[in-house]
Order: sequence, then structure tokens, then C-alpha cells
Amino acid sequence: MVWGAWICLLSPLVAACAITAGGTHLSRRAAGWLATSSCVVAFAGAVAAFVGLLTHTASDRQFISTAWTWISGGKYQSGLSVIIDPLSVFMMLVVAGVGGLIVWYSIGYMDGDDEERRYFAYMALFVFSMLLLVQSGNLILLLAGWGMVGLSSYLLIGYWHQRPSAIAAAKKAFVMNAVGDATMALALFLLIQQGNSLEFGVLGGDFSSTVANLVALGLLGGAVAKSAQIPLHTWLPDAMEGPTPVSALIHAATMVTAGVYLIVRTHAIFEQAPKVADVAAGLGAATLLLAGLIALVQVDIKRVIAYSTMSQIGYMFVGAGIGSYPNAMFHLMTHAFFKALLFMTAGIVIHALTDEQDIRKMGGLRRLAPKTYWAFLVGSLALVGIFPFAGFFSKDSILAAAMAKGGAFGYILWAAGLAGTFLTGLYTFRLLFVVFWGEPRAFVREHFHPLGRDVVAFSLAIPVGILVVLSIVGGWIQFSPWWHPVETWLQTVAEPIVSPASWQEWTSIALSLLLGLTGIGVAWAVYGAHRVAVPRIAWAQRTLEHKFYFDEAYDALFYAPAVFLAKFLRRGVEQPLIADSGRDLGDDTRDLGSFVARAQTGLVRTYALAIASGVAVLAIVFVIVK
Amino acid sequence: MTTLLICLPLAAALIVWVLPLNPVSAGSLSLLAALAEVGIWIQLLVRYDFSKGGLQFSEQHAWIKDLGVSYHVGVYGFSVWLIGLTVVVLAAAIAYAFWAGRERTRAYMGLMLFLTGAIVGVFTAQDLLLFYAFFEAMLIPLYILVGVWGGPGRLGATLKFVLYTMAGSLLMLAAIIAYGLSQGTFDLVAIKPVSSDWLFLGFVAAFAIKAPLFPLHGWLPDAYRESSPEVAAVLSGVVSKAAAYGFLRIAITKFPGPAHDFRAPILALAAVSLIYGSLLAFRAPDMRGVVAYSSLAQMGLITMGVFAVNDLGLDGSVLQMVNHGLVSATLFLVVGMVERRTLTGELGRLGGMARGRPALATVLLTAGVIALAVPLSSAFAGEFLILAGIFQRGWGWAVAGAVAIVLAAMYVLRLVSAVLHRDVGPAVSESALDLRPAELGVTVPLLVCLLALSVWPAAITQHSFRGDHGAFDVAEQFK
Repeated sequence: MVWGAWICLLSPLVAACAITAGGTHLSRRAAGWLATSSCVVAFAGAVAAFVGLLTHTASDRQFISTAWTWISGGKYQSGLSVIIDPLSVFMMLVVAGVGGLIVWYSIGYMDGDDEERRYFAYMALFVFSMLLLVQSGNLILLLAGWGMVGLSSYLLIGYWHQRPSAIAAAKKAFVMNAVGDATMALALFLLIQQGNSLEFGVLGGDFSSTVANLVALGLLGGAVAKSAQIPLHTWLPDAMEGPTPVSALIHAATMVTAGVYLIVRTHAIFEQAPKVADVAAGLGAATLLLAGLIALVQVDIKRVIAYSTMSQIGYMFVGAGIGSYPNAMFHLMTHAFFKALLFMTAGIVIHALTDEQDIRKMGGLRRLAPKTYWAFLVGSLALVGIFPFAGFFSKDSILAAAMAKGGAFGYILWAAGLAGTFLTGLYTFRLLFVVFWGEPRAFVREHFHPLGRDVVAFSLAIPVGILVVLSIVGGWIQFSPWWHPVETWLQTVAEPIVSPASWQEWTSIALSLLLGLTGIGVAWAVYGAHRVAVPRIAWAQRTLEHKFYFDEAYDALFYAPAVFLAKFLRRGVEQPLIADSGRDLGDDTRDLGSFVARAQTGLVRTYALAIASGVAVLAIVFVIVK
Repeated sequence: MTTLLICLPLAAALIVWVLPLNPVSAGSLSLLAALAEVGIWIQLLVRYDFSKGGLQFSEQHAWIKDLGVSYHVGVYGFSVWLIGLTVVVLAAAIAYAFWAGRERTRAYMGLMLFLTGAIVGVFTAQDLLLFYAFFEAMLIPLYILVGVWGGPGRLGATLKFVLYTMAGSLLMLAAIIAYGLSQGTFDLVAIKPVSSDWLFLGFVAAFAIKAPLFPLHGWLPDAYRESSPEVAAVLSGVVSKAAAYGFLRIAITKFPGPAHDFRAPILALAAVSLIYGSLLAFRAPDMRGVVAYSSLAQMGLITMGVFAVNDLGLDGSVLQMVNHGLVSATLFLVVGMVERRTLTGELGRLGGMARGRPALATVLLTAGVIALAVPLSSAFAGEFLILAGIFQRGWGWAVAGAVAIVLAAMYVLRLVSAVLHRDVGPAVSESALDLRPAELGVTVPLLVCLLALSVWPAAITQHSFRGDHGAFDVAEQFK
């Protein structure tokens, strides 16, 4: 079991190093297969850990394996250790499993790119980082995984580095995540000051409410940045500059859900800081609505899906914030399935249309690419949460939990979630109808080229097929009114603090189904049946297209002042006061030098005398004034 | 063994200067000596008893009996790592200089070897006057290396460098004499701590100039810009650490009272250096500017760690001294390699170098992400400990450090993408080659050291200071 966990963690790292060191000695295809097989090995390791845990009784399922002391400072020390418990194994399975499918898909998608090896090295590095994040046995290694994920997403988003927009997006993602890293680090400093330890166990300790609030806020800052929740969300849509499988990996299966994992993992501190937990839930609710609204007006196929990701993670934040941890994790898992599926089918569309992403140029693909259409339809239905697809089972139980939390705040969250369901139906099926229904546009007729029957096509099709199956049946694992194995599995790590009654479950299910279907119906009426021009409100449209002006606000508030300050320091302080003062000093010395040159007798003893007497004077001054 | 470590490079320098060797054999001989020095250091590392700690391999011979001056050398746990940094970086610098070919090879190589011996002397001297002698002996070859082999603006740069460091040295010399005479001994181990503010400030000023700290860094941009890349690597990687070592070995140990009283202003200067350096690195127009100002920022951070005067801060700053030494040396060497190919370091004229040059891209990117202290790197471990230490002296200092984490990400990524990414810059010709095997041979070992430390930063943090030392027991370390 312990070995399984270490193999799971290290095999992608080994693959990344091997591909980097191998360089051109390794064929491009081989690099792809090496990365894929490392993920398969990792998945096997995760399964071994899972089976190993099953052999223990539920109360006994937590193991920490330490390789050696990683860092120390006086009394504080942390080991290089992995934790093996139901939560980490759950995440290992999702990350290695879905990650492996995406890397496999990449073999087809990236075929013919001229730097494939670099791509696969980055992908393997990413999977390693994500596994480090979910397997780390203490908070500092969690932060390490956290940062490594940020680094590998930077590398992947900026993979096409000759595109200025890709590089800008990559930098933005990294810097925004660095903000989150910094707040997390501050929370960790506070913990060290409190108890000289960063083990997960200390989070349950007895803290004053100020300390608990500050630590929880710091951790929440990290979670919000990584999971692209308001207000640190602006990097995510831009990150669509990366290759599509990257979007699937980063924005569906793994990275952006890390914030949810963090909250669940450190729930002990959030339970001591209920106000901060409410903030998390509130941010989640705000994000799910705002992102849903923005998704309505986006015209880039990947950006629509990206905003829907933000929105879905909003649901998970609501779940984690109100203390319904197993449901948040369950939604994380089903979301990984159907969102990866949506991204990958979108990737096939983009691939078939010679890298075009603008949905206004698409249309009528239902007849040209029927299998892709069906796969996309399954993903969309799962996303909206229509019975019996995966999203149905997980999303509704979060809503029920919000209802069970009760109070005005609980019902606001619940109402926001329901409204979000309507929006989800609307924007998801807008995308589907615009892209797949209607008559093919001129652009499609000109550029569409179907997949062949070669290795490339199979690498694309098989992972998509597996995800289609998972998106249909993956949700059946848990149906909260009747059976809940996910909850039972996670119970020892993250016991939920709300338990909905069955009428709350059924009310939420009925309402959210109804609203989801309404959303689909409206989308059909507007985009499917008639393809009419939509009545628009100019200011609302503009606000949405500018994504509520977050980018502009950040530019004005942070980036511009930083640049201004840097310029001012360079022109106003460094140049005139420090660099040039030195130069003046030099010139003055030279003038003085020519004056003093008369003292240059050339006799060494004169110099020695001068130096010695100068030093002596200084020494006397020191002795006197002390 | 300590004396051997000091004298081997000095002797090699003499041989290179005296014997009429041709450039190739002079270079080979120097490289051989530098590598032998690394070998001796490995011996030292293996034979130093970390479980016991304290001063080991010490040698003492009377020098000026009446004044209590002696030739006293020896190593502490943390000096083992600083000596290691010195010999490794100097070996890389000598190897690069040999490969790149400098005019008047014998003189150049001799100076580099002499420099090695002098810096090792600084880190091992246990007598104040000896320390001063090595400190000066370290600066003299640098004046010549910058002034003779530097770029077009080398004279101005050298003049500034000399003026600043001379001012610092004289203050230090005066402080040493006053301190030693008042205590009747110059022995660093035996001399009693005192609480004289003026002596403390004399030492601090000297080290603050050498580190440098804002606003005493006027010499830094020019010196780092005008010197040859390997000299810049040594300057920012190793020589600046002599100042941090001075803070640690003399300022806080021998002046615990003033170090406590002046903590706030010194931390403020260090914090300003950190933020100021980061911001200037973010707007610097050329590669060397970015690395130079980031060096200013990092020295601010290390100084913060030392003046936190607690376990976390001290362990972190020793680790970070080694990290920053290795990473900034690597960066300066890579800067040199890029400049060789493009004849410029201006960011505006570079770009697109990643395409077709995977080795260059990998080396620069790896060094860059370690420089920005991406979590899991050893630099992250060092910064984390320093900031955790300084957090206990006031959370505001740590917040300044956290801001600098974000700024570091901004300036390093700017540098990396300006060189490697986007369109091919006007100064980058199609025929500019990828890194040659010799260049990889110089940079990869440095990166391997950093990666090894990333896997096990506790190698340094657990093996620097003796046992479980509390904040007020720092002086205990040096008995």
C-alpha cells in the first residue's frame, strides 16, 4: 500500500525526467507513450493503495510514510512524507485516472506538433505535481505541490511560446497563483509560530478565534486563486491559450479542483472559523452565478467551457464551505469526468476545423461528426445535471445540503445554486445548438476534415469513449437519498457537518431538474429551433463581454501602480540618487585626486604612514565615542 | 586541512603566474587546482563531525603576540556549506573562463585562483585581523578583474566599486582595531561580546556595503554589468555572501545588545532592499540588470533572516546563501552564454531563443524557476524558513517578504520570456547555436547541486548549527 502510493507519486516524475534527459534520442511517439504509461503505472499504484486501505477497518485508514526530514529550522521540522487515507486515495484515483486518459488523448491531439517531447515532459511533470499536492503528508509539502502545479500550468499554458497571448496568459496564471501561494505561506508561518509544526493534525488543535480565522483566510486565499474563484479568477479564461488537452487537464480534472481538496483536507480549521467557511461558500455562490452569466456571451468554444468550469467549482466551494465535504468531493469526481469529456470533444471539433475556436463560424456539425456530437451531448447533459447522467447525482446533493444548512444564508446559497442550474442549461445548450445544429456555415464546409482511421484517431477516440461511459454511469456510485458509499468512504477524514433530510433532497432534485430542463428549453427555443437573433441589452452585453471588468480593475489597481512605482524608483531614485551620485562621487574623487596628486611622493613609507594614521584616527574616534 | 584549503589555490595562483605556460596548459592547471579544491572540500564535508558541531579543523599559530593576534583558522558547521559554495562556484567560473578564453590567461587564471583562496580564508578566519586581511585580499583581485577584463564602462565601474568598498573596509578596520585593543585580543572565538553601538555600526556599514543593502548599492549595477560573466557570477554568488557571513559571525554574535536595539532599522533597510530590488529587477532593461537587482533583493532577504536571530531565520539564511549563490552564479553564466551569441543583453533585442535551442531553454528555465523560489525548490525552503523566522519578529516583515514572492515571479518570468519566447529578436541570428557541451558542463553541475538541495534542504538546515539552539543562544554556537 505504501509502496503503491510512492510509485503513484514518482512514476510521472521519472517519466518527465527521462523525456527531458532523453532529448532527441527518444522518438516523439515514444515520449507520448512514456508519459501515458507513467500515468497508467501511477493509476495502478493508486489502485494498490486503495485495495490496501480496504483491508483495514474504517477507523484505521490513515498512514503517513516519511522518506526523510525534508526541511527543518530549530524545533520545527517537516518530513518528505505522503499520506495514505481515503481522501488522498480518492484524489489519486481521479488525478491519475483522468490525467492518464488526457495524456493518452494528447498523443493524438498533439501529433505533428514539432515540440511534442517538451509537451509530454510538461504533462508528466504536471501529473506529478498534482499527485504531490494530493498525497503530501503535511502542509508544507502541500504548498510545494501547490506551487509545482502552478509552475507546470505556466509551462503548459505557455506551451506555444511564440504566441505573445499564450505567454501573457501563462504569466498571468502563474502570478495570480503566486498571490495565493503567498497567502497560504503566511497562514503556515502563523501555524509554525503557534505550534512549531505543519502536520495536518495540528489544524484540529485549540486556537484562538483570531488565529483560526487568519489561518483559514490564508488557506482560503490559496484555494480561491488556484480554483479560479472570484476575485482571483481572471487567469482561467485566458489560460485557454494552451493546447486543448491542457485545458482538459488543468481546468477539468485536476488543478482547479485543488482548492476544494484543500478546504476538505484542512476542514478542521475551517470548522473553527465558521465565518471564513461562510465566505468560501459565498464566494462559490457568487462565482457560479457570475461565471454562468459570462458564459452566455462568450464566442470561443473553450472559453464557454472554461467559464462553466468556474461555475461548477463554485458549486463545490458551496459544498465545502457549508461542510458537506463528501458531496463536494463527489461533484469534483463527476465533474472531472464530464468536463474532461467536454474539453476533449471540443478539442476534436477544433482539430477537425483546423484550429478554429470561434463558434460563430461553426454549425451543422451534427451531421458531419455524429459520434462527436453524441459524446458532446452526453457531456452537456451530465453538466446540466439531467437524470441519469453523472452531474445529476452530485450537484443536487450539494443543493440539498445548502438547504439543510438552513438560515437565510443557507437558502440564499440554495437559491443561487438553483439559478445556476438554469444558467448552466442555457449556456451549455446554447453552445451545443450553435456548434452542432443548423446548417454548416461556409467556414465549416470549407475546412472540415474528418478523422481518419489511424493511431491518431484511436488515441483521440478511445479516451473520449471511456469518459462517455464514465459520464453516464459515474454518478450512480452515490444517490444520496438512498445510498452513499462516497460519504461512507470519506467519513473518517471529512465527516460532513450537515445532513439533509429526505424531503430536502427530493425538493432540490425536482427543482434543479426542472430549472435545468427549462434552461435547455430556452436555449432550444432561441438557438436550436429558429436560430433567431437574440434581443440584447447593450450595457448588459458589454458588461458580460468585459467579464464584469475584473481585468481592467486589476490593471488599474495593482499592475499599473506596480509598473508606475518601479518606473518611478528607476528614474526618480536609482538613476539620479544612487547610480549618478556614485558617478559624481567618482568625478569628485578624480578632481580631488589631481589636487592630492602632489602628495604622491612615490615613497611607500609616506603612503603607509598616511594609511596608518588615517586608520588610527578612526580607531581613536571609535574608542572615544563608544 | 583548513590551511590546505586556503593555500592550495594561492599556491596554484603563484605557479600559474610564475611559470611561462601557454594559455591551454595554464587554463588546465587552474581548472585542475579548482577541482582539487572541490575534492578537498568533499573530504572536509565527510570528515566534519556534524553531530558535535562547533569549531573543528582549527589551527592556531601565534602571529603578533603582544596584541593577541594569531593565525587562527577553523570551520563551523555552516561555514562548511559556505566554503562548499565558494569552491563549487569558483570551479565553474574558472572552467567557463577557460572555455571562453580570456586574454592574458595566466594573469586572469591566477587572479581567479587567488580569489578562491582569499574567500575560503574569509569563511575560515577565526581572528579579526586575519579576517580583515582575507577580506581585503578578496577585494583586490576583484578590482583588477573588473577593471582590466571588464566591458567598455569598466573604469567607471571599478572606480565606484573601489570607493564604496574602501569606505566600508576602512570603517571595518577601524572598528576591528578599536574592538581588539579594547578587549586585548583579536581572536574571534575568545573575544567577548560587547555592547558598543558604534563598533557594531562600523561592522554593519562595512557588510551592508558589501552585501549590498539599499541605499549602499550604488556600485552594484555597474560592477555586475561591466565585469565578465564569470566574475559577475562570483561577485553576486559568493562575494556577497562574505557580507552575510560577517553579519552572522560578527555582528549578531559579538554585539547581541546593539543587534537587538538596531533590529528594526536594519530589518527596514533589508525589507526596502528586498522590495526595491525586486521592483527594479522588474523594470531593468537588460538581462544583467534583472539578475543584479534580484541579487540586491535576495541579499535583503538573507539579511532579514540573519537579523531575525532565531532558529528558523538563521537556518533559513544559511540555506538561502547557498541557494542564491548557486542560482545567481548559474544565471550570470547563462547571461554570458546568451551575450556570446547575440552580443547584447538588452531584453528588447532578444527573444525566441527557445526554438531550436532546447538545452539553453531548459537550463535558463530551470535556473529561473529556482530563482523565483517555486515551491519544492531549495530556494523555496530557504525563503520559507527565513520568512517564518522573521514572522515571529513581527508579521509585517513577513508580509513584505510575501509581496516579494509575487514580485519575484513577475521579474523572473519577464526575463525568461523576453529571452526565450515570443518572436525571434533582432539580435538573435538563426545560426546562434544551442549550448555547447562545455557550457552544459559548467551549468549542469550547478543545477544538479540545486536540485539535490531541493530534494533534501535539511542537509543544510540540520547541519549548520549545533543542536537545538534557542534565539538567545546564538553566541553559544561559537564557543
